[in-house]
Amino acid sequence: MSLTIALSKGKLLAGSEALFRRAGLAFPNGEGRKLVVAAGELRFLFVKDMDVPTYVEYGVADCGVAGKDVLLETGADVLEPLDLGFGRCRVVVASPAGRAFAPDRAATTRVASKYAKLAAAHFLERGLGVEVVRLAGSVEIATGLGLADCIVDVVETGRTLAENDLAEVETVAESSARLIVNRASFHARRAEVQGLVAKLQDASR
Amino acid sequence: MTARLTQVPPGAQCFVGEEARLRRGIEETVVSVFEGWDYEEIIPPLFDYAEVFAGEALASKTYSFVARDGSLLALRPDFTSLLAKIAAGRLRERAAPLRLYYSGEVVRYEPVRAGRQSELYQMGLEHLGGDARAADAEAVAIAAECLERLGARGFVLALGHVGVFGGLVDAAGLAPERVEALRERVESKDPAGVRQVLQGAGVSSALAEAFERLTTLGGGLEALPQAAQAFSCCAGAGAALAELRAVADALGAAGLGRHLAVDLGEVRGLDYYTGLVFRVFAPDLGFEVGSGGRYDTLVARFGRPLPAVGFMLGLDRVALLLERQGRLAAIPRPAVEAIAATQLGAGLKDAVARRVRGARVRFGSGGDR
Repeated sequence: MSLTIALSKGKLLAGSEALFRRAGLAFPNGEGRKLVVAAGELRFLFVKDMDVPTYVEYGVADCGVAGKDVLLETGADVLEPLDLGFGRCRVVVASPAGRAFAPDRAATTRVASKYAKLAAAHFLERGLGVEVVRLAGSVEIATGLGLADCIVDVVETGRTLAENDLAEVETVAESSARLIVNRASFHARRAEVQGLVAKLQDASR
Repeated sequence: MTARLTQVPPGAQCFVGEEARLRRGIEETVVSVFEGWDYEEIIPPLFDYAEVFAGEALASKTYSFVARDGSLLALRPDFTSLLAKIAAGRLRERAAPLRLYYSGEVVRYEPVRAGRQSELYQMGLEHLGGDARAADAEAVAIAAECLERLGARGFVLALGHVGVFGGLVDAAGLAPERVEALRERVESKDPAGVRQVLQGAGVSSALAEAFERLTTLGGGLEALPQAAQAFSCCAGAGAALAELRAVADALGAAGLGRHLAVDLGEVRGLDYYTGLVFRVFAPDLGFEVGSGGRYDTLVARFGRPLPAVGFMLGLDRVALLLERQGRLAAIPRPAVEAIAATQLGAGLKDAVARRVRGARVRFGSGGDR
């Protein structure tokens, strides 16, 4: 039986494809909307980025490529043997530009984010009261419309923040793409998993 | 009628008919293996004082409640603490070694996720006192026999020893916060994360490299001599590896080598385990089937210093694994004999008579299920 790999349909897809091809591994050639595709010795699942760790934690996929930001947010119990080096970004706190951001002056700071768990932990660990407004997207507009005092979101270049009159306040976490492996697969399918890890490691150098 | 009367609380489990029979079958097989190795059953109480379960890992997961006299009680979140208490208390006069087993439910506040439920059925044993290496090897061999007899395919017993990590930590003299961050990264086999945690910790480059090797070293038994070389800078880690090797060699000699793997990044429950640790994995199930290890300090909490080793298999997980591997054969039963109750006395007399002959009867109304 071939190994099953869970990949994100989102921003890590291009980097994952380039890496697999560089490693000499098969990769599906534009199969349209099919979400489960076999290619060579591997079977690929294309899922939402936040779902990649779930597929791997349950062992539905043996391995996957997920951002560290997503791993921190989901808290999935998976192995992380490789930092693949691409998809670098940061999860930051951002607030309206030109205005002082002082969460210590308020009993509760309202934070809009896709990263509900990371955002809450970031404030609570500092002894700051927080109310997290969980959003699925377009987080950048939340402060301007009065939904939240600040946002916790991912930035690559910072352009989206600037376009929405937001300024970065502090970093919550640094992220890059990681190869993740199911705990049982790591042992029960050791030879295949280690072969894949070795190929991807060489290709990601 | 309120929703509560029909709704199931998250994490609660209920098994009906065939499902329940298959679970009983698994339990009988496992218990017969425990009995076969001369272990004695203990049926411990469902609840005890909350203090009994005060280990760090379980405290936050324990269902506790206040008794009428004001004492804090808890539903058992595991069996090991209870068996330790019994070994040190009621069985205190009994000479070591004690070989005890259990099979039953525990309850935990646990989000339902990846094979975790609030209600778990555990089958396990504890070997208290006696020759430590022999007990370690025996525990792993018994776990293997259970899976073998259940018909599980391709299972792997991944062996580790917390003293390898512990030895390196002692040699490095790390601050406790950093140890926890490091443990968590080693547990995830994340070499990049290990490097990051050790940045600015003032650890020698040899030790930093050794910590990183913990995440990559592992696999077959050939990893043990490799590890001995990689960790030669640290006597504590070397001693732990020698213990692990003695156990692995014994298991190999017993013909169990094909089921063994080495996992030196197995560093869960450091406040609890003191030596050998192992987890059971199998293809077709993404999470472990069971786990165990040596805990030499727990029983002393209850007033009897007694080193010990134990393991448990999760019945729910074993059942799921066997089902996925197509190994869960229906248990054969005699065909049912239906007896009408139109003539109540004569009918019942007939049913009782057939029961004496051992028939499976259905008295009165009701069709096939």
